Amino acid sequence: MYITDLKAISPQLTYDNELLEGKKTTHEDQVYNVIEPDYMEFIPKGLLRRMGRAIRMGVGAGLPLVKAHSDIDAVVIGTANGGLEDCIKFLNQIVEYDEGVLTPTNFVQSTPNAVAGQLALMGQNRGYNTTYTNGGLAFENAVLDAWLLFRENAVDKLLLGGIEEISDYNYNIDSLAGHYKNEIVNDEDLLSSTTKGTVCGEGASLFVLEKAPAEYYAKIEDVEQITYPTELEFDDCLELLLSRNNLQVDDIDTIMLGYNGDSRHTPWYTHLEEHLIPNANVLSFKNLSGDYRTCSAFATWLSAHLLNGEKAFLPHIELRKKHEKEISRILIYNHFDEVRHGFILLSK
Amino acid sequence: MSQTKEELKLELKKHIVEYLNLLDIKPEDIKDDEPLFGPDLGLDSIDSVEMIVLLDREYGIKINNPTEGRQILVDVNTIVDYIEANKK
Amino acid sequence: MGVISAIGNDVSSSLSLLQAAKSGIGKAKHFNSKYTSSLNFGEVDMSNEALSALVAQRTEHGNPASESGLSRTTLLAYLAFQEAINQAKLTSVDLMSMDTGFISSSTVGGMSNTDELYADANMKGEPSEFVTSYGGGEHTLRVIKKYGIKGFTSTINTACSSSANAIMLGSRLIKAGRAKRVIVGGADSLAKYTVNGFNALMILSENPCKPFDTTRDGLTLGEGAGYLVLEGESTCKDKIKLAEVAGYGNSNDAFHPSATSDEAFGPRLAMQRALASSGLQSTEIDYINAHGTGTPNNDVTEMFAFNETFDSIPPYNSTKSYTGHTLAAAGSIEAIFSILSLRNNELYASLNCASPISDYGTRPIDKKTAKELKHVMSNSFGFGGNCTSIILSKS
Repeated sequence: MYITDLKAISPQLTYDNELLEGKKTTHEDQVYNVIEPDYMEFIPKGLLRRMGRAIRMGVGAGLPLVKAHSDIDAVVIGTANGGLEDCIKFLNQIVEYDEGVLTPTNFVQSTPNAVAGQLALMGQNRGYNTTYTNGGLAFENAVLDAWLLFRENAVDKLLLGGIEEISDYNYNIDSLAGHYKNEIVNDEDLLSSTTKGTVCGEGASLFVLEKAPAEYYAKIEDVEQITYPTELEFDDCLELLLSRNNLQVDDIDTIMLGYNGDSRHTPWYTHLEEHLIPNANVLSFKNLSGDYRTCSAFATWLSAHLLNGEKAFLPHIELRKKHEKEISRILIYNHFDEVRHGFILLSK
Repeated sequence: MSQTKEELKLELKKHIVEYLNLLDIKPEDIKDDEPLFGPDLGLDSIDSVEMIVLLDREYGIKINNPTEGRQILVDVNTIVDYIEANKK
Repeated sequence: MGVISAIGNDVSSSLSLLQAAKSGIGKAKHFNSKYTSSLNFGEVDMSNEALSALVAQRTEHGNPASESGLSRTTLLAYLAFQEAINQAKLTSVDLMSMDTGFISSSTVGGMSNTDELYADANMKGEPSEFVTSYGGGEHTLRVIKKYGIKGFTSTINTACSSSANAIMLGSRLIKAGRAKRVIVGGADSLAKYTVNGFNALMILSENPCKPFDTTRDGLTLGEGAGYLVLEGESTCKDKIKLAEVAGYGNSNDAFHPSATSDEAFGPRLAMQRALASSGLQSTEIDYINAHGTGTPNNDVTEMFAFNETFDSIPPYNSTKSYTGHTLAAAGSIEAIFSILSLRNNELYASLNCASPISDYGTRPIDKKTAKELKHVMSNSFGFGGNCTSIILSKS
């Protein structure tokens, strides 16, 4: 399956593609908020007024694609938490009004499949429609569903996306759980940090995938995942992905890793780049996007542009250069909390 | 001192804009006899429930089901008449 | 397969109540909400402690009493999951194989701990024991950890069609060769969150729900979990095959976030696609386990969709009249009930329907009836316009 169109709303200037010209936006906070376009220009006000942050972002990035591709056969979305802000707002109402008379909009908008539903509604798309909420593998689950749909000849073209919002509430919850750094770290220094915790990001990255297009940005070859692995099981999982695609380790020239500056999370990435795929160039992405459960969708967005030869932003994410070869195959590896590990394999 | 009918109407319109998060619509833009669920405002069944909550929280008026609500939530005039008749 | 709901803690007790036409809906005893006195619920009649003790009794995989931050959703999931793998005789080695997948679903997930979530989200005091357990995929992760599942795992949330979509995805993974066996289903527990949400939408009935009755006035919320073990031909040679997943279809109604269109585009397309994928004619469907929530909107649009899809509408019921609406778990629980019908060649009565919608000259099944069944359909429609239909056949 091939990426033929894509749109991202992220903490970088991705919506109008300024990042692709090399223009990086600096973040120096525990929270990397997205830079939002003026939604009023293209989302009908009657619908926009109800949308929470995740839905605005998802529809904001997805609607231009749905409009440009009226022949989309399916919508497949990954979002770990969906509209969590609406969810907690509704919860706050329950407590503050003691289960009294409550406004339903937050409730309806809080269901994680509201983005996929809204995109179907706005595009009048009655095809296959689904939403994965599997924490740090929600986007990888969506990629596999897309892979299956093409394999089944069920679709010629579909919309794939990964979306997550930051609200004060989920920041609070994850912060209490020890996800984020206590100190302020500049994004230039994030990846070399040796303390616990990372920074909180958000974003919506959506893709139009096609079966056999004449022109495209990149090919998504495959996806694999494992949960609670031992190191040995982790190694086997990568081997399974490579052998299924008839690849040797050195066929992968570039790896994009989820380094996030959390000292607890680093060893998995180091293991992969030092022991499993030692000869590939190493790229990062979370210094641009922050960390969130579906950030591999943003990594996919970056990879698709790199494989399309757009490389002006490359200096911002280059960690280690092992060779001078052109980028022709990228393996994205990310884990959330050392529990859920996902691989996405893309090529030219 | 009690509110005049005109003051109540304006207050209600402000609440409608706020509760329904209407974008680009000022309270003064809503006409007293403009059908709320007509094409201009683009309100739907969820909005009717939101308005039932509005009446409860702001005016202490209980409407128990959407069918009953439909008779009352016609336009600003009908709602204001109902508020005046039932306000505690 | 394994199931827990208001009509029983396992498959055999559920069957007894279906056969006896005895609903599990009534006043809640364990669920704590302002609405427990005024509304009816399809509650699993066990406290969390009792559920936990039953899990410990059923499995050798550790006593849940020692786990912190355990939600009721997860306890329900453990029980149904364990029954399912027992029946399918899956070993620990089977469960840990990279060829074994697990696809679950939930709408409430860890949010069933509403009060703790409120405190943590608003930073009121020290973190609660649930602080890492609010995610929709939390129960999935707990099952994965408990049973050491390494293969493909997923959590779906398409609201009330979630576990029907889990069945669909599991079947597709096996068909594509990405897995040899997949355990699929969903779990949801009663929660202030959903009770107040549906109440705010004014679609909860004060009475036990009355699917397909002209006086129906809303749904009754329930709770439960249901899991099915799906296996490809290669691994289930010597096993009892309970049924075959013959077809599935999903469509988005593309109409409204919380209501079905009058034309029922989504339900019709879901059923048509399920028929097409099974290769069956509509006349070959012997029974429909309807979505049948008992809301004014759902039942009339679902009937319309039946009429458009079938020349002659097959016998239908809504087993939500027994369990209440179990949200994400509904699709898998109702698939299990459909399989019970299929295997016993019995149709079970749809309850609380004294004056049926008569627009199409039909009424739901009114009493337990013997009928030779080959192919049955189960419908699940959810918020966000998500509609799924599954066809199960005798194997």
